[in-house]
Amino acid sequence: MTLQERANPAPAETGEEFRTRLRAFFTDHHPGRAPKDPAERFAWNRRWLATMFDHGYAGPGWPREFGGMELSFAHQVIYQEELARARVPGPLGTGLGIVAPTIIKYGTREQRDRWLGPMLRGDKVWAQGYSEPGAGSDLPSLRTTARRDGDEYVVNGQKVWTTHAGDADLFFTLVRTGTPQSRQKGITYLVVDARARGVQVRPLRDLTGGHAFAEVYFDDVRVPVADRIGEENEGWPLVRTSLGHERAAGAMNQAALYRRVLTELEDLARERGLLADPLVRARFTDLEIQVRIIRYNAQRIISDILAKGEPGAASSVSRLLISAFEQEIHEFALDLLGPAALLGKSAAQSVQRSRWLHGFLRTRASTIGAGTREIQLNTIAEQVLGLPHDPAMPPR
Amino acid sequence: MSIGFTEDHEHLRELVRRFLQARSPSHEVRRLIRDGLGRDDEVWFQMAGQLGLQGIAIPEEYGGSGFGPTELGIVLEEMGRVLLVAPYFSTVALAGQTLTASDDEEARRRWLPGIADGSLTATLAVAEHGGTGARTEIATIAEPAGDGWALTGTKLFVLDGHTADLLLVVARAEDGIGLFGVEGDAAGVVRTELESLDLTRGMAEVVLDAAPAIRVGGDRPSGGWLPRVRDLVLASLAAEQIGGAARCLELAVEYAKVREQFGRPIGSFQAVKHKCAGLLIEIEAGRSAAYHAGFAVAEPGAEGAAAAALAKAYCSEVFTHAAKECIQIHGGIGYTWEHDAHLFLRRAKSSELLFGTPARQRARFADLVEI
Ligand SMILES: Cc1cc2nc3c(=O)[nH]c(=O)nc-3n(C[C@H](O)[C@H](O)[C@H](O)COP(=O)(O)OP(=O)(O)OC[C@H]3O[C@@H](n4cnc5c(N)ncnc54)[C@H](O)[C@@H]3O)c2cc1C
Repeated sequence: MTLQERANPAPAETGEEFRTRLRAFFTDHHPGRAPKDPAERFAWNRRWLATMFDHGYAGPGWPREFGGMELSFAHQVIYQEELARARVPGPLGTGLGIVAPTIIKYGTREQRDRWLGPMLRGDKVWAQGYSEPGAGSDLPSLRTTARRDGDEYVVNGQKVWTTHAGDADLFFTLVRTGTPQSRQKGITYLVVDARARGVQVRPLRDLTGGHAFAEVYFDDVRVPVADRIGEENEGWPLVRTSLGHERAAGAMNQAALYRRVLTELEDLARERGLLADPLVRARFTDLEIQVRIIRYNAQRIISDILAKGEPGAASSVSRLLISAFEQEIHEFALDLLGPAALLGKSAAQSVQRSRWLHGFLRTRASTIGAGTREIQLNTIAEQVLGLPHDPAMPPR
Repeated sequence: MSIGFTEDHEHLRELVRRFLQARSPSHEVRRLIRDGLGRDDEVWFQMAGQLGLQGIAIPEEYGGSGFGPTELGIVLEEMGRVLLVAPYFSTVALAGQTLTASDDEEARRRWLPGIADGSLTATLAVAEHGGTGARTEIATIAEPAGDGWALTGTKLFVLDGHTADLLLVVARAEDGIGLFGVEGDAAGVVRTELESLDLTRGMAEVVLDAAPAIRVGGDRPSGGWLPRVRDLVLASLAAEQIGGAARCLELAVEYAKVREQFGRPIGSFQAVKHKCAGLLIEIEAGRSAAYHAGFAVAEPGAEGAAAAALAKAYCSEVFTHAAKECIQIHGGIGYTWEHDAHLFLRRAKSSELLFGTPARQRARFADLVEI
C-alpha cells in the first residue's frame, strides 16, 4: 500500500471520519510555533512540508502519481478547513498553487517526475518570473529573450518583483522567442535553475522594509531545451492554467483564516473596552458581514463545482472581496487602536508586536500583485458582463 | 471673513516652495532618515535666519514677524509636500503657537526669541497612554517644589520629544490642568525615541520623575487659552496634510502620463483617470477646509474650534486616501521601499491618528455645532 493510499480516505470513510483522522494527524505532528528569524522560519516550513509529504498528507488535489492525495473535491474542502483550524503553514513560494498545475497539464512525463515531487515535499522552492520593469499589467509586452542554440536556449533580460526569488531554487519564467513585436504569439515557458551561470538575484526592499521580492537578471543564461514547458512560442495559453478546483477549496482556508483574524481584533477591542462605542460596533458589524460573505461565497463556489463541475460567477469576485476585506480590517485596527497602533515592534508599548501596523502596509499589495484591482475589474466587465472590449487594447 | 490670499501670501508660498525644492529633495529626506538625525542644521538655521520661517507666527516683540495661522499654514502646506525632516511642526506649530497663545509675558520672553531665531527647539507633550490627549486622560501630576514645580508622569507620542530642548508638558495641578515648561535634559527626565510608522518625524516617550518645571501662566490656572491651543494645532496639521495629499496626486499624475502599458500611457485609462480626478475633488475640498480653518482659528471662538475639527477630520482622510491611491497607481513600483509613496502613506496615517482620529474630531465637531 502506498503512502497516499494510507492517508487517503478509504471508499467507506465518511467526511467526518476523514476529518477526525486529519485532525489527529495535524495534532500529532504539529510543527509548533514558527521561529521568528526568517531563515529559520523558512527551514522550519520546509521540514513541515516534508512531514506532510512523507505521511501522504500533501497535495490534496494532486494526482497520486505525483505524490498528491487526489482527493474528491468535497474532501479537499475538509482538508482546507482542517489546515486552517490546525494553524499549520501552507506551501512555500509560488510553486504549488500556480506552477504545479501548469506542469501537470502541459509538462512531459519526465518533467513531471523531475519537478513535482520535490516541489510538493518542499525540497525545491519555486518562484514565478513573469513581470518585467516594462511589462506588468501588459504582460504580453515582455522583452526577456531566449535564443535557441543547439539544444539550449540563451536567455537575456530582467524580471522584477519576483516573490521569493531570494529563496528560490527554480524560476518559472516567460521569455520571448518570437520577434520583438510578436506579443503573446512569441512567448515561451522556460524553467531556469536559480544557480545557473549568469543568473543574478538582487533583493528589492518592499515598503514594509522587508525583502519578500527581488529583481532577477539573466545574462547569457543557458537553459536546456528539455526545460521548456510546452512548445516554443506557445507559452501564452499556459499562463491561464490553474488547478481551479484546488484554488476554490483553498478559498475555504482563507475564509477560516480571516474569520480568525477578525475574532482576534474583536478580542483586542473588547480587552480595551472599545466595543461599546456604537461607531466601533457598526464597523465590526460591517467587517463581520464581509467575512461571512467571503465564507458564503466560497461555499457557493464549492457547491457550484460539486453540482456542475465548474465554478460560477461567484468565483470571479472572490479575490476582489478578499483584497478589500484584508485592507479594511487592518485599516480599521489602526483607527481603533489610535496612536498606539503606530508603534513599531521595538517599542515597549507596541500592540501585539505591531502585527496590525505591518498588515496595514503589507496589504497595499493585495490590490496590485497577481494583477491589479483595475485589471481584474476590466476582466470581469468584459468576460463576465460581456461589455465591449476596449478598442485601444490588443485583442485577447 | 473672506478666504483669500493676498499677493504677499503667494510670494511667501513661492519663496518657501523654491527653498524646499532645493534643500529638501527626496534624496535629502532619505539621507536624514538613514542618519536618524532629525534635521539638517544648515537648512534649519537658513530657515530661521534668512527666511524667518520659525518666527512666522510669533509676535514681532519676541523676534518673530507677527503673522498668524494663515501664513503658518502656507509654510506647513509646503513642508508637507516635501516631507521635510526637521522639528518644525513640533517647535513652531506646537510649542511656538502654544506660547504665543499663552497669557504669560514672562514665558513668551524667555522662550519665543530662541524659537524664532532657530536656537531653541521645543515640543508639546499632551497625550498619555490612551493616546487621545483628552483632559480626562491626563494623569501626569504637577506639584509645587521650591520656587517652581515638579512633574511626575509619562507622556507618549511626543513629536520630536527625544531631541527637543524644551518640553511643554500638560499636567494636572491642584487647581486644574496646566502647562509646564521642562528642559529636555533636566534631572528626572528620561526620553526614549519610539520606533514608529512615520520615518520622517520621530516621536518619543517622556518619563518624568519629579522633573523640575516652570508653570506657563505664572502660578495662575491656565484659564481660557489652553483649549485654544488645540484648535491652532489642528488647523496647522490640516494645512500640512493637504500639502502632502496634493504632492501624492502630483506624483501619481506625473507617473500616469509617462508609464505606458498596452502601448499607451496608463493615464489614458478611465480607471486611472477617474481615480486622479476623484482625488483632485477631495484635495480641493480639503484645501478649502484647511484654509478656512487657518482664517477661523486666528480669532478665538467657537467658529475656529469647529472649523479646525472639521479640517483635521477631513484632511486626514484625504491625505491617507491620496497616499494609498498613489501607491496603487504606481503598481509594483509603488510597493517598493525606494519609491517615496510609502513615506507619504506613513506620514498620512501617522498624522491621521495623532491629535485625535477623524472619528474623534467628527464627534467633537458634532458637539460644537450641536448636531
Ligand atoms: C508584492 C508583490 C509581489 C509580486 N510578485 C510577483 C511575482 O512573484 N512574479 C511576477 O511575475 N510578478 C509579481 N508581481 C508583479 C505584479 O504582478 C505587477 O505589479 C502587476 O501585474 C501590475 O503591474 P505593474 O506593477 O507594472 O503596474 P502597471 O501595469 O504599470 O499599472 C500601473 C497602474 O495602472 C493601472 N492600469 C494598467 N493598465 C490598465 C488598464 N488597461 N486599465 C485600467 N488601469 C490600468 C493599474 O491598475 C495600476 O494602478 C508582484 C507585485 C507585488 C506588488
